[in-house]
Amino acid sequence: MVSEQGGSSSTLSLLPKLDQESLRSRAQPNIPSDKRRLLSPIEQQSASSGHADRQRSDFAVMASLIGKDIQATAAKLQKLGRLAKRKTLFDDRPVEISELMYIIKQDIAKLNKQIALLQNHVKEQNSKASHGSKQAMEHSSNVVVMLQSRLAAQTSTFKEVLELRTENMKATKDRREQFMFTTQQQANTLSSDSPLYNLDRRPATSSSQPANNMLSLDLSTPSQNLQQQEQVQLVDANNQYIESRSTAIESIESTLHELGGIFQQLAQMVSEQRDMVQRIDANTDDIESNVTGAQTELLKYYSYVSSNRWLMVKVFAVIISSAVTLSVLS
Amino acid sequence: MKIFAISVVRNNVKPAKTIVDEKDLASFSYFQRSSIGEFMTFMSQTIAEKTQPGQRQSIEESNYVGHVYGRSEGVAGVVITDKEYPPRVAFSLLNKILDEFTTKYPNSALWSNPGQCPYPELKQYIVTYQDPKQGDTIMKVQRELDETKIILHKTIESVLERGEKMESLVERSDVLSSQSKMFYKTAKKQNACCVIC
Repeated sequence: MVSEQGGSSSTLSLLPKLDQESLRSRAQPNIPSDKRRLLSPIEQQSASSGHADRQRSDFAVMASLIGKDIQATAAKLQKLGRLAKRKTLFDDRPVEISELMYIIKQDIAKLNKQIALLQNHVKEQNSKASHGSKQAMEHSSNVVVMLQSRLAAQTSTFKEVLELRTENMKATKDRREQFMFTTQQQANTLSSDSPLYNLDRRPATSSSQPANNMLSLDLSTPSQNLQQQEQVQLVDANNQYIESRSTAIESIESTLHELGGIFQQLAQMVSEQRDMVQRIDANTDDIESNVTGAQTELLKYYSYVSSNRWLMVKVFAVIISSAVTLSVLS
Repeated sequence: MKIFAISVVRNNVKPAKTIVDEKDLASFSYFQRSSIGEFMTFMSQTIAEKTQPGQRQSIEESNYVGHVYGRSEGVAGVVITDKEYPPRVAFSLLNKILDEFTTKYPNSALWSNPGQCPYPELKQYIVTYQDPKQGDTIMKVQRELDETKIILHKTIESVLERGEKMESLVERSDVLSSQSKMFYKTAKKQNACCVIC
């Protein structure tokens, strides 16, 4: 740790805090070493000028506050990223996610303002400080630049998380479509996703510009987004009614379609049974002819048999009569 | 699913004034009816005031939902229902009522005197639309289609049974046919073969 003399004990008491923060977060590896290195010669040099010390301690206080806020925002961003990555179909928590997004947006805006203030403060200091604590000026400008770059990194991470979230929402909507019936969901996704796409593209385009401009542009985007969200909600109520009507009518259309299919199936089944009826018809015709033929045969036989007996009786009678006459004659 | 009140409110003046309204509070106890009725009138006037022309809104309040549709002529229709009533039916009812009302009394000067714009059909509407499936055309069509579908399913089942019976008939006629053929052959054989001798 740094060895100190009187004056700026406040700065040094803050140093350990900064050091602990750095140990906790992976996003702040450089701050403690830089501050230590740069601050120790500065402490030794300007131990005399207490007034400059007080200014610098103010600067260090603000810088450390900003550092802490950035770290807190980073933690929230991590949580949001984890929530947005979840791919469950039904357990999505849109309320929580949107709340988190809103909070993070506000935090980033606030941090922007604070860093802008810090920058102005540094410029004032540099213009006021006549004697040559050139290293102090360099150091403060370095610190400001580092804070700005870290905030830029956070904002780009936030933008990535937002993009990931829109992709996931689209994917879940697609998957829901596969399980449910509606066909007009395409129109739905277009209308509801396009505001979301517009809101997402704006941070992307703004952050492509250099870091200084990004500070001012980011301040304006949150208010625009809020206004857009209000408009979207008003248009949405009307859209919902119209969309529910079109859903109902489409379900009627599909029912009619199904009914048509059912009728066709019915007709096909009945035509299949027509063949069976024809077979039965042919069979019964055969039966009729067979039975009539058999009856004719039997009749013939009966007549034959009955006629036969009559003949035999006649022949028998003639033979017996002849036999009797022969015996009588002899 | 119930409708509690329908009203037509004039919202191009502030405060909004009710022109006609109709309430069905039979589900509440006798002593609560007047206060609930006042509350509903107040609620319809408030939400009609806050609605822009050409805008539809559904506002939820304790256990009532108010559906409001503001027309561009300066009148708005408000329907107060419970939470389960489908909003689509409420809005189509509002469309119908407002269309009829504006064709009947297109002159906006008449609206300032509620006595001149009687609208007795509201009573009928509130009764028929108590059951949304009864009142709304789309739902009626859907319901009839569903019934037709059920009847068709039963028809197909009976056709299947008919098919089974046909099959058994075919088999039986086949058997009979072969039996009669045997009968014929036997009879024929008897005729040709050895006579009793």
